[in-house]
Amino acid sequence: MVSRPIYFISTVIIMTFTYVFFLTFFNEGQPNKMPIGVVDLDNSSLSRQFIRNLGTMQHSNIVMRLNSHKEAREEMQRGNIYAFVEIKQDFAKEAISNRRPTITFYVNDGFLIAGSLISKDITYMCAATSIGMQQKVLRAKGIDENRIKGIIQPIVLDTHLIGNPWANYGTYLLNVILPGILQLMVLMMTVFPIGVEYKERTSREWLKNSNNSFFAALTGKLFPYTIIFTFFGIIGNILLYKYMHYPLNSSIGWMFLATFLLVIATQAVGIIFIGITPVLRDGVTFGGVFGMLGVTFAGSTFPIEQMPIGTRIFSDFFPIHHYFEIYVNQALNGVGIHYSFIYFIALLSFLVSPLIVFNRLKKAAINQNFPIK
Amino acid sequence: MNILQKIPLLKNTIAIVNDILKVIKSELRTMFKDRGVVIMLVLAPLAYPLLYCSLYKNETLIDVSVAAVDCSRSQESRELLRHLDATQSIHITSTYSTLAEAKQAYNEKKVHGVVYIPANFSKKLNSGEQTTVSIYADISSFMYYRIINQACNNCVMDMSNQIQVERLNANGITGELATIISNPIPYEGIILYNESTGFASFLMPAVLILIIFQTLFLGIGIIAGTSRGENRFHVLVNSSVHRGGTFMVVIGKSFCYFVMYAAWSFFILMIIPRVFNLPHIGIPFDIMMLMVPFLLASVFFSMTVSVFLPHRETGMVIFMFMSLILLFLSGVSWPQSNINGFWRAFAWIFPSTCGTQGYIKINTLGADLSHISFEYISLWIQTVVYFATSCWAYSWQIKKSRNKSDVAFEIPESL
Repeated sequence: MVSRPIYFISTVIIMTFTYVFFLTFFNEGQPNKMPIGVVDLDNSSLSRQFIRNLGTMQHSNIVMRLNSHKEAREEMQRGNIYAFVEIKQDFAKEAISNRRPTITFYVNDGFLIAGSLISKDITYMCAATSIGMQQKVLRAKGIDENRIKGIIQPIVLDTHLIGNPWANYGTYLLNVILPGILQLMVLMMTVFPIGVEYKERTSREWLKNSNNSFFAALTGKLFPYTIIFTFFGIIGNILLYKYMHYPLNSSIGWMFLATFLLVIATQAVGIIFIGITPVLRDGVTFGGVFGMLGVTFAGSTFPIEQMPIGTRIFSDFFPIHHYFEIYVNQALNGVGIHYSFIYFIALLSFLVSPLIVFNRLKKAAINQNFPIK
Repeated sequence: MNILQKIPLLKNTIAIVNDILKVIKSELRTMFKDRGVVIMLVLAPLAYPLLYCSLYKNETLIDVSVAAVDCSRSQESRELLRHLDATQSIHITSTYSTLAEAKQAYNEKKVHGVVYIPANFSKKLNSGEQTTVSIYADISSFMYYRIINQACNNCVMDMSNQIQVERLNANGITGELATIISNPIPYEGIILYNESTGFASFLMPAVLILIIFQTLFLGIGIIAGTSRGENRFHVLVNSSVHRGGTFMVVIGKSFCYFVMYAAWSFFILMIIPRVFNLPHIGIPFDIMMLMVPFLLASVFFSMTVSVFLPHRETGMVIFMFMSLILLFLSGVSWPQSNINGFWRAFAWIFPSTCGTQGYIKINTLGADLSHISFEYISLWIQTVVYFATSCWAYSWQIKKSRNKSDVAFEIPESL
């Protein structure tokens, strides 16, 4: 295992790089202070007040003042701003004389995350300005102060996000991406060490070293990776839940267990991939494709149940899908562990799957009767 | 005299072209003989876009199941729930009398959100007070939260506005004045470039560029790794192929990849978006102009790195995970403005970053080449730099192969 640099790179280096990358990349949690522009054709104290207030919002940072709609649109197309607010001429005059001037804002949802966060900010600020105006008028009309609130906003919507009240983007993504890369690397490092024995025609010696027990040969081969990847997986859990303080509403032990099961279930899948054709290059291709799809099929980015029919069944073949369900139940929602038993069992049941290819792999190891490329 | 001078020049040119053609021929042969390469360079660019586009075909969520807890049981609360149910986004699948029961249903993943209407809802509405509606939303996927919040927000706002006018009337403010007061400064948010706020329209363009980049990169890695792993001297360039210099080898090989991926780019960036209704407002000519430096930079970048891969599988094992890293580095999901300086500089090394940004700006935002001068110039700089590095890397390999074959020939003589 220490003979080639690839083993060290694909375990220690890549996992470390992944953790360093994502934790430094998402350290903000949510993208704050994204660049937006304003086209203030009114330039009155009212419009300036509005712009000043908007600039204090969490997600928005007014980086440029533009002279025309066209100019603003071009800045948006250049990607320098994600949104702009247009305040037309005589805005303040019309507002005071009850002629209902409109504030228009344009949001670039080509960059959906930036667009929707900024849109929330601007909408909030528009509503707040409107309410301020209403308050003034109603007071002037002599309406009783304690009735004003009920008139301005009869129904308040009170939104609770279950498990991730801050809508932290890092929480949402890293809990899928990190195990996703773990799954990918486990697959690669199952297919590769086994496949190399076949490719280099050393499978007979490999088998001999374990007293001709193929089961022992396989377990012996994969056991070091089980240890290494479980170790890195658990480090990942600790980084997410203890270091970054992402939501963890049940014992971290369950996540450790899920991580361990994810590793061994993925190893079982890896054995199948190298078993289909004991050809290293094909195994690596299958493993790579499957590993990349894993992130999609975990079901976080876009919910599985809203994907085309059949996808749901297909997603059950991905160990990470079950891991993700355990994460949602345990870490995010903190429900009783009995809700997650089914997913733990699903992960365990992957362990029987290598039986499909066991005999084939064993025969191939002895007879070496297959093309090496 | 003049003609005599020109003849050797002509001869030289013909010789060079011949050499390049020879490299191209042998490269094409290796490309199509090797199953792994065919999978990576032909099957993957064909299948991946189709697969991902069909998975994300539903741009947005439809009829997300939500539970209602109606403690008010009044005409008003039923009306609000009816409105919610009527939206495209959410579907009220069950009604419970306590929050605990709804929580149970949520835990069993029967619903993805809960709408809670308190007992005093209608009483407060009728007495002119402010009342509250609570929603609890699943955030295991941001899509759930966004869609539930949006639908509830819209319905509550509608109802609110209606009540507002009624209350103003009750206070003696009627007619046009009531309309003005209920909405003194109307605002209008206009969504550009992705009007339906679709998930696929947002993510797929970036994924398409990454599919081009990664399959090209991994494919070239397989080819280079194979020639190193399989020929006798473990060097990249078989000495029988090249007689001309490094230039011929690099130009010949890159020509093959470039032509092949020019065709793929047409399929992936022009046809796929039209078939799957992804944004495509860019001018085809501008996209083409962008793809030239992008493909060249990607080819030379891949060729440079591929020199250091000892075996054909190495590239796949080590660089597959980079697809995800590159997706984030491209600055599409996490906005580029919020990537810290170090990772931004790191991202710039990879042609995929400028390629993605440039493509999205042209194709999704309708920019033209002058708007994306940064990306465009960057890609040409990368092309030049990576061409130089790939020539250097290849000449190093070729030198190594010559030394090795010299040694190999000397040994038998001395024996």
